[in-house]
This record gives sequence, C-alpha cells and structure tokens, in this order.
Amino acid sequence: MLLTELEPGLSAKITDLSTVDSLVQRRLNDLGVLEGEFVCLKRLLPFGGPCLFEACGQCIGIRRHDASKISVECE
Amino acid sequence: MEVALFGNPNTGKTSLFNILTGSYAFVGNWSGVTVEKKVGQLKNHDGRLVDLPGLYALAPLSSDETVATRFLLRNSFTSIINIVDASQMARNLQLTIELLEFGKPMVIGLNMVDVAKHLGIVFDTLKLSECLRVPVVPIVARTGRGCARLEEMLASACSDPAPSFQLDYGEEAEAAIKRMTRLLKEETLNKRWLAIQYFQGNRIVMDRVHRKVGDEIPRKIAADLSQKLKEKNGRLTVPQWIHRKRKKVIEAVLADAVQRKAPSKPAFSDRLDAVLTHKWLGLPIFFTLMYLIFYATFNWIGTPVSDQLDAFFSGPLTDWTGAALTSLGVLPFIRDVILDGIIAGVGGVLVFVPQIFVLFFFISWMEDSGYMARVALVMDRFMQMAGLNGKAFIPLVIGFGCNIPGIMAARSIDQPKERLLTILISPLMSCSARLTVYSLFAGVFFKSHQALVVLSLYVLSIAMALIMAKIFSQFMKKERSVFVVELPPYRLPNLRTIIRSTWDKARGFVRKAMTFILGGTVLVWLLSYTGPGGLNVAINHSFLAIVCTAIAPLAAPLGFGTWQAASGLITGFLAKEAVVSTFGIVYSAGGASLTDVVGQAFTPLQAYSFMVFTLLYIPCISTVPAIRHETGTRKLTLLTVGYCVLLAYIVSFIVYHGGLLLGFH
Repeated sequence: MLLTELEPGLSAKITDLSTVDSLVQRRLNDLGVLEGEFVCLKRLLPFGGPCLFEACGQCIGIRRHDASKISVECE
Repeated sequence: MEVALFGNPNTGKTSLFNILTGSYAFVGNWSGVTVEKKVGQLKNHDGRLVDLPGLYALAPLSSDETVATRFLLRNSFTSIINIVDASQMARNLQLTIELLEFGKPMVIGLNMVDVAKHLGIVFDTLKLSECLRVPVVPIVARTGRGCARLEEMLASACSDPAPSFQLDYGEEAEAAIKRMTRLLKEETLNKRWLAIQYFQGNRIVMDRVHRKVGDEIPRKIAADLSQKLKEKNGRLTVPQWIHRKRKKVIEAVLADAVQRKAPSKPAFSDRLDAVLTHKWLGLPIFFTLMYLIFYATFNWIGTPVSDQLDAFFSGPLTDWTGAALTSLGVLPFIRDVILDGIIAGVGGVLVFVPQIFVLFFFISWMEDSGYMARVALVMDRFMQMAGLNGKAFIPLVIGFGCNIPGIMAARSIDQPKERLLTILISPLMSCSARLTVYSLFAGVFFKSHQALVVLSLYVLSIAMALIMAKIFSQFMKKERSVFVVELPPYRLPNLRTIIRSTWDKARGFVRKAMTFILGGTVLVWLLSYTGPGGLNVAINHSFLAIVCTAIAPLAAPLGFGTWQAASGLITGFLAKEAVVSTFGIVYSAGGASLTDVVGQAFTPLQAYSFMVFTLLYIPCISTVPAIRHETGTRKLTLLTVGYCVLLAYIVSFIVYHGGLLLGFH
C-alpha cells in the first residue's frame, strides 16, 4: 500500500522509494529515510496539501504526490 | 590557523560560531539559516573560524550547499569542527564520514546533548572517539556548555597527525577507487576522497576531475562500477551503495557507543504540532498569531511608547535645542537646519523605533522557537498555487524585516526557478522602513483600528507577491518542484538570543536613520529652504516644490496629487523611512505637529491609497544591488523595479476609485 493510504497514527515499513522524484529521494535519503525504515503517518493537510510523517525520530513534511509514490507495508 | 565549521542544517553551527568568536550572527530554528560562509576571529586563539551553510552530504543540491564543497576544494584551512546533533546521530554521521575521508585534523562537537538526554539517549564519548579516531566533545552550543573544552581539543588536534579514516566499500568499489586514484596522481587533495565523491555524483568534484584529466576515462570508470554493482545488487545505484555501506558502519558504531532508554517524558513537540499544524486550524492559528503580534505592537506596547517619544521630540527637545542654539548665537540658517530639518525629519523616523523593536521581538521569537518550519509546511499548498514552494515563505517573512536578507535567504530554496521567483517578489514584502509610513498614517486616520489596517497592508503585500509569482511563473519554463521540510523539535526561545536578534534587526534601522536618512533629510531641507527667490523662501516657492509640482499630477488619479506627497515618494526611493522624514520637513513648516498637518492634508481614503502605493512602488536603493547580485542580470533587476512601479499604480488606482465608489472618502 502507499504511505498516503496509511491510517494516521499507524506505522509501517518502507518497501519501495524508487519511483519517487530523484531529488526528493535524495533529500529523504539525507534525512535517513530509506527502504526498510519505519514511518508513521501523522496527518495529511487539506486541499491536497503536504503529508506529515515521522521517521527515524524526526518529523518530515513532503508533498502529497511525492508521498503517494512511497510504498509501505504494515506488519 | 583557520578552522571550518561543518554540520547538518539546524544543528547549532551558528550558535557555536557566536560563542567561539564572541560575535553575533543570525540564529534561527529551521534548516538553511546560514546561506553564505561567515568568517570570525577565534576569541582565545590566534586564528579564524569559518561558519558554512549546513548540509546533509557534500554533494550539493541547492546553491547554498555548493559553498561548502567549494570551500573544501580550495583547501586553505587547517582543521575542521564537525557539529553533530546528538539526537540525530545516525544521519549526522553520514556527513562526518565524508569529512573524515577528506583527511584534515578534525574535532567533533556533539551538540544538544541536553535534548538527547531528554529523549533517553546516553553516550559513551570515549568509545565514539575511539571508533571515529578523532576527539569527540559533548557540548550545548546554545548555552556554551563544553565549548571551552572543544577549543582546547581543537588546538591539540591540529598538532597531531591527521586521522587516517578508511572505510571498506566492497571489492568492486575499492577497485574503481584504486583506478580513479591512479588517474588522479597529480592531484594535491586527498585522492581517495575525490574518487569517492566523484562516484557519489558530487558535481563540483566532477567538474574539477574533468578539468584535470578530461571526462572520458573517469566517466568510464564510474559507468563500469555502476554496471558491476547492478549485476550484483539489482537496482542499487552507486551513491545508494556508498550510503548503505556507510550506514552499516554507523550502525555498528552507534550500537557500541550509544544507549537508548525510554524517553523521560512524552514529546512536547508532538502535542504542540497536533494543534499548530492541525488540518484545519493550522492556517487560522498562524493568522491569529500574526494579528496578535500586530495588535501588541501597535495597540498595547509600541504605539504608546512611540507617542511619548514623539511628544518629547516635538516638545521639550525642540524647545531646549532651540533655546540652546539661540543662546549660543548660531546663525539662523544653522538653527533652521537643526530644528526644522534634522529634528523634524530624523526625529520623525526615530519615534517609530519602539514599534519596530516590539514587532521584531515577536518575529525573532517565532524564528527561534521552530514555528517557521511549520508555517512553511502549512503554507505550501497556497504557495504551490502561485508556482512557489512552501519554503519560500520563510525568506518572505524575513523580508518583513528588510528585503535584503530576505532576498539572500532565498538561496536555501532548492530549485532555480522557485528561487528566482522568490527574489522577484521579495521587494513587495512590507519591510520595517515602510512600517514608519503606516504608523504615521494609521495613527492619524485609523486610530481605533490601527492593528487591523496595518495587518491588511501586510496581507495585501503577501497577496500581491503570490499573484505576481503566479504571473511570472507563466513565463518561465516548467520545472519540477521539490518540497521536503524537516520540522525541528520546538524549543523555548532563549531570551538572550531573541534580544540580540531583535537588536540586530532594529540596529540597522537606527543606523540608517543616523546616516542615510540624516543626509537625505538635510538635502531635502536645503531644497525646501532655497528657491529661485534666494534663501529662506516660502516653502511653496522652493526648488523642492517647483520640481515636485511638475510631477505631482501623475499621482492625482491615485488621490494624492500634491507636491508634498510627490516629494515624499521621490526621496522614498533612497529609503522608505525618508517618506516620513521628508513629510516632517515639508509639512511642519509653520510649527504645527506633523500628525495634525497630515490629518488636514489627506482624507482617510487618500491616506490608505498612499500607504498601498508606498508598500508596492519601488525597491529602495539598497535593495536594487542585492537583486542584481542574486539574479545575476541587469535585465531582471530592471524588470523588478519596473513591475513594482506599474503594480503600485494599478493597485492604488483600484483602491482609491473602488473606495470612492463604495462611498468612502
């Protein structure tokens, strides 16, 4: 499933980042967000606004359409 | 000795810089505060400290990140301080490894150990320093704890031989590194580091290598490596492979040297964020906060103090100075310059200092608390509609202080198109100088709704900026937009930092009043004192009146076609405060107080139209070179100046005539 489909407050493991825009991918890698890491969706802002999630002990915001390319897997 | 300060964004580099050099540079709680390197003298040692923009990795993405790699390549420094955020070790150490590979003497400052402790993270710094083979010193840069020891270690690190840190990247990568280092045998810098950076796609290193040995062979080596890794590992790219290898090493180090316990209390930031970045409440809360800040500035604290200062300047100070000058027997001409020129003009500007201090006190508070990154997040959807990035909101808010640092701060935006757009619209941000005009007019015409009227101008300034950005973006080629924002934990702002930061912003204002405005005021006064009829002419027959009467009709459709208004707007190009100081001269002839005369000279609607025009009409003379510098072309600079004038004319026209139709006057 996709990060944006996750229930807010639930965490899941990232399975695929490869279809995310390469610059966004690089920034996420810099922040330690990689395949195999756990993410927890905090909220989606209205009107298709950004997606706020927690990973590696930090809060990160990215755009909705980038977030919708991150595949995750609930355990 | 020259020491370079490296570290991830928002880890406290600038705080440490301020402590070690005893200077004051701007600190904030978001990523990208420092966009240009800053150099300071070390307090206790002979030597200089260079503060570099924060970065996650040496391979640059945005233009402020190229500064750091270029600095490394120039190689003029003796040692490195690497600041590491103790609560985010895993990712901070990625940069640390790149720096260790560079092979200069280095000391690690493990910052924010207090925050980490709250999160239940405990370190064995000895073990850490053993694993990384460089000294590791725990510090708290905000309060200065441990910084003295860091400095001592630095001095001894410089005398030790440079660390030889090497990490095994696996058979294929090591073979490629070997091929590359052989190719680079002429190179004076660390060859292994250059090779690894090349494979990571650091474009500045790539340019350097291509310049020295041509691009054919290096590209071939990199392509071979990529091919070999693909055969072995599937879809991993070379940079990802390197990143992964480093991550393994980091995990091993951390497993050895760091212990995690349960956090001592539930995260306060999380609960605050649940409200401040709330789905629906986020934006209303931001605007309410802004309204409260303006209300406090104009209604509660700033204006009452300003009024007293005004009373003092126009009353006792003028009387005492006048009496003193008369008793000294100075020429009437000199007496007039001082009383009607300097005190009326510069004093008219200085009375707004309290309001500016109060406003910046609150804005600094927001900057230091970590709220700005949240605002960038909440605003992103809106900014996106205008072709901008949520991150552009931070330079724009800084532009409220002064447009110049706002334009500089645009460098932290990753994409060139969004950066250019931000620079182009920055002059529309209502800077503190323009606040003097609003304060004067709002105080006279809209006494009971001051905060609301001034806030409306700020909102207008943002709205116009977004509209112009949208229009400009239509003419630019499409570019993908990147938005990744890190929300740092909230912290209680440090009062000392806030006061310094407020002072830093307001100081420029006071200094400008004492130099630029003073000079301009004396010149304007001279022009109003002399005329074709000689000296001390009636002000209506002065050179100033004659020149300004000629151009005044241009502004008549906007509601303020008087020569006095025109004179204010002309000098306003020098600095926006000069509008007020010029009014102080041209309206105060006759001894009445400025507020009374202005109250007679404008109607409320005309006053509002005039404020709108002042808000938009032209970037001041100091901002123009900043735009030229950051955009790099004369054409875009002229475009910026030109569109501002046109926009101001159109908007003021609509406001004035719209207002008339609605029955205002």
